[in-house]
Amino acid sequence: MKNNEILTEIRDANLNYLMLARQMIRADRASAIFRLGLPGGLVDVLDSLSSAQVIRLASSNMMLARLRFEDEAIIEILASQGRDISLATTHAALLMAVQPVEGKQ
Amino acid sequence: MASKSVVSDGEQIVIASQLIELGARLQVLETETSLSRERLIKLYKEIRGVSPPKGMLPFSTDWFVNWQPNIHASMFINIHRYLLQHAHMSGISAVIKSYQLYLEQIPLELNKAPVLSLTRAWTLLRFFESKMLTLVECKKCKGNFVTHAFDLNHAYHCGLCNPPARASKRLHCEVAG
Repeated sequence: MKNNEILTEIRDANLNYLMLARQMIRADRASAIFRLGLPGGLVDVLDSLSSAQVIRLASSNMMLARLRFEDEAIIEILASQGRDISLATTHAALLMAVQPVEGKQ
Repeated sequence: MASKSVVSDGEQIVIASQLIELGARLQVLETETSLSRERLIKLYKEIRGVSPPKGMLPFSTDWFVNWQPNIHASMFINIHRYLLQHAHMSGISAVIKSYQLYLEQIPLELNKAPVLSLTRAWTLLRFFESKMLTLVECKKCKGNFVTHAFDLNHAYHCGLCNPPARASKRLHCEVAG
């Protein structure tokens, strides 16, 4: 993949992420806070953005969303849980529910 | 109820019907809503088409530490805590929302009831309130899991990091059968 193709894909992913996040927040705020793993304040700000603001935010050449597992060891555990796929997804979901929300220190 | 408000009455009926649809027993409905027993039974029959089951609720804390129930119970309690802390929900609406999100996160098999029923989930919260059960951190994956309050868990490994030998076998038998 060429460099500018990657950048286009990143901007697309950003826009997709923001649009989906906003749809989720509008449909059900509490579930969105859980599923997105974002604090309530941030969720409210995302909800209040205008379409123009969303497009401006998304047009960054860097990924806006990042991996929810920050600990390498945990990603290894989840990835190596090969025996049963449903077990691995359940484990990942459980750990995500435990993890503190990002950016809330 | 001292003042009979139609609006709050309507809200109570909505809560009760949500609980019934999710599979709550009558005892849960009686505790969590202000509706009378007769009206709850009538509502139950209307929604489910059958009379509510009689008898006592499950009351053992041991069920929650068995391998499969423990994973499901831990999932539910973590979601519930998350909603209380970050979405500032409370009371029965937090229970309903957590249970709906729990159902989303577990693999549901066709025509089979979820491992953790709503009534079990509700009793689980009561066990936590009365401090009979508590959460312990798995030393390996750092997840939080349900355990007896007075167990010694200085080197706890959860059932997902350390599944028992027969666990996956049973899972496969269930799928095949």
